[in-house]
Amino acid sequence: MKLKSASVIERLRKALQLLQQQAYRPLILSLAIGALVGLVTVAFILLTGQLAARMYPAGGSGWRRVLVPTAGSLITGYLLWRFFPFARGSGIPQTKFALFINDGRIAFRTVFGKFFCCSASLASGIALGREGPSVQIGAGLASVVARGAGLGKEDIKALAPVGCSAALAAAFNTPIAGVLFTLEEIMGDLHAPVLGTAVLSSATSWIVLHLVLGDDPLFHVPAYQLVHPAEMMVYAVLGLVGGLGSVAFVKLLLSLRQWFKGFPKGSVWLQPVAGGLTVGLMGLFLPDVMGVGYSFIDKVLNGEVVLRAVVLLAVFKIVATAVAYGSGNAGGIFGPSLFIGATMGAAVGSIAHRFFPAYTAGPGAYALVGMGTAFAGIVRTPLTSVIMIFEMTRDYTIIVPLMISNLIAYLISYGLQRMPIYEALAHQDGVHLPIANTRDEAARMRVSQAMRPVPAVLREEEPDTQEFKRLAALVAESATVPPHVHPDHQLSLALERIGATGLTVLPVISRADTRRLLGIVLLDDVLRAFGVSRPSEARESAGLN
Amino acid sequence: MAVEFSKPSFVRTLALILLAIGGLSATDLFLAKTEREANAAEAARYDREGERLMQAGRSSEAADRFQSALSLERDNEDYQLALAQALDGAGRLEDAEKALRALLERNSFSGPANLAMARVLVKQGHIDQAIAYYHRAIYGQWSDGQRSNPVRVRLELADLLSRRNSQEDLLAELLPLQDQAPEDAGTRLKMGKWFLAAGSPNRAASVFRTLLREQPELAEAYAGLGEAEFAQGNYRMARAEFQAALRLKPGDAYLSSRLEVCDLVLRLDPHRNGLSAEEESERSRKLLELAADAVKPCAGSAPEEPIADLLEAAAKQLKKRGSAPDNIELAQRLWQTRKAVCGAAAAGAARPGSDEALELVMGKLSQ
Repeated sequence: MKLKSASVIERLRKALQLLQQQAYRPLILSLAIGALVGLVTVAFILLTGQLAARMYPAGGSGWRRVLVPTAGSLITGYLLWRFFPFARGSGIPQTKFALFINDGRIAFRTVFGKFFCCSASLASGIALGREGPSVQIGAGLASVVARGAGLGKEDIKALAPVGCSAALAAAFNTPIAGVLFTLEEIMGDLHAPVLGTAVLSSATSWIVLHLVLGDDPLFHVPAYQLVHPAEMMVYAVLGLVGGLGSVAFVKLLLSLRQWFKGFPKGSVWLQPVAGGLTVGLMGLFLPDVMGVGYSFIDKVLNGEVVLRAVVLLAVFKIVATAVAYGSGNAGGIFGPSLFIGATMGAAVGSIAHRFFPAYTAGPGAYALVGMGTAFAGIVRTPLTSVIMIFEMTRDYTIIVPLMISNLIAYLISYGLQRMPIYEALAHQDGVHLPIANTRDEAARMRVSQAMRPVPAVLREEEPDTQEFKRLAALVAESATVPPHVHPDHQLSLALERIGATGLTVLPVISRADTRRLLGIVLLDDVLRAFGVSRPSEARESAGLN
Repeated sequence: MAVEFSKPSFVRTLALILLAIGGLSATDLFLAKTEREANAAEAARYDREGERLMQAGRSSEAADRFQSALSLERDNEDYQLALAQALDGAGRLEDAEKALRALLERNSFSGPANLAMARVLVKQGHIDQAIAYYHRAIYGQWSDGQRSNPVRVRLELADLLSRRNSQEDLLAELLPLQDQAPEDAGTRLKMGKWFLAAGSPNRAASVFRTLLREQPELAEAYAGLGEAEFAQGNYRMARAEFQAALRLKPGDAYLSSRLEVCDLVLRLDPHRNGLSAEEESERSRKLLELAADAVKPCAGSAPEEPIADLLEAAAKQLKKRGSAPDNIELAQRLWQTRKAVCGAAAAGAARPGSDEALELVMGKLSQ
């Protein structure tokens, strides 16, 4: 018996040693974070629902719809100001801030504050969403776990997005979209190395969600159908409407937030009340404008649409969310984006179906596509929005209309509001987050743009002739290829190699024949291409002009 | 609130996560259970309201309530069915059909759902499809408290088929009902009438006789039995039953007309057993006279050749007091010509009692 227990202990010890091996840590932590974040997100959703049921009991008075959000925003506004200042707002810019500027560090206090303040705020009827906060909570938990496990800065930064994808997978019930959003929006790079761990945590979180809540989808969507190919024209119109609506929403939200920022600092704790009161007064006349609004979206998706009501709700929701967010309440804009998109889509669909009943589907189908359209226009993640709606419907036929509508909305939104909403929000706070577009621009710069090609005839009087000759000989005669770049290399790589070798000039050689010199690239040319010019002495000391 | 691990440790963190997962799982399951119970209670409240509104005939409002109940309990088939029935009641047949299709997709054997679908399809005029759904309902699943429902469904289907004059299909449904149908007088009366409609007067007579043994004062049963005897050509017995019915329901116009037809048939039939030659001749003359009279209204003032010739021959025959077989043969030819030449005009000029009687007698003579 003693021998047996000793063997078990030995096995456990070995297992623990295996666990502690550096190579397995990211995988093990990704699984653990996936499960943990999934459970916390489910608790967040359920707690919010239960609080809402108690705040708004069946048959309650209409005035409750004004009093509860006002009181809710007052209480949570004070708590956020006093104890959890980093838990205000959506959670996405804060997560990106933590990831790119704060070494992936999010305090447990912020996670705690975000969980309870957001839950109370959303339950009281504030017209904001739960997904953005879930993302911050997920990233925060991952950050806390990584720090607790003694991981280094880079590992902490690598695990925070894992928490994001797990949170979104549970909040939206869309595991692939969770991963994609993390890569597309949070990381701004679809080839980010966290892909594997993000997938692992997203899948784990999704499994946890289904174990606890069952297989009930977020929305109960009837089978989608494309009635006639000509319907694509209507989807294009929906893209146009969605794009303009998205821009209107983003601009209004940013202007209101800027306006609120103009008030004295001492009033920050009181400002959310403006949002609560606005939502409450709107809710008095149109109760569906309050809260996350997913039950209403469900009705719209099932074709239960009155044109006037959906148009009014689209406008009211834009205003209510913009005021609630701008005034500093805790909550995201994912949910409201879907709501605005569904109502706009239902409105376009209702009108189209009224005039062309034989060629168009019912308003429910347009509401479905409209959700993705507004998401693409507001959040500016077109790929995530297509996959998210696809995951919700599990219907392949929706892909093409969705892509058409999303692309148009995205282009309109990009044309009329160049800076994406999360970056613009960070800018208002004096934070400059890396933007995917600027990164892309940098990545688009190639060596060929800065190189000096070898002229057809080398003339002695030309300043670079000696350099060309020297490098051509070096490239042609060396047993191994010397430090070099190719014309299609990114210019940043040339800069890196110049830095690594200590040279001020690099040969640009052919990919097809590594002994053939195509040109040279100088440090000054590289810097000039990036818009940097050096003092002339420095150039002179380098012996080049 | 600043929760930071004083000395980072991978294993300890993992252990803490596992602990947190355990605690959170318990919390989540508790919260989920509470929410499910709250939703179920709320949904039941909506359902009760919906039922009340349905009983008050406010189907449209009831549909809203059932929809609300369903949004809280998506998988509840009772709410789905109630919603479909409310939509049907509100005249939103397409929506009702859509709701029922969704329900049947999940449980294609549901008896109540198949029955509701059959009813919706009947209203939409898709009778053949409806009949298929009635059959699925009959052989479908019913809860313990609804064991008698397949019989009711079959009765409903029989009613539909009788209205549609689908004799063979109707008889196929009625045969199993003979043993299964409830014993109450109303159902038995319907069964007897449906057997008549299905062309099985002997079974109808049997049903009515059984009923009369239990309720000898039931005028409808006598009338039904009269019709059954009449359909079998037993005009004397039919007459007796109609008379019995009239005794119980004096002044009933329909029964009086049926009795009159019976009398006329019995008076006109020249081949009735026990008639003297003189009586037979007299009846054949009467038959010829009535046949000629029946032709005249559709022939008009200037009849065409075949009718004119036949009418002339009839007049001559009646005048010379010809033999009974000749009278009968001419009467039959006149009746056939009337049918062929006058067609729709004959139907328009039909005299209810005598024409039916003539038709019956002619039919009997031609056998």
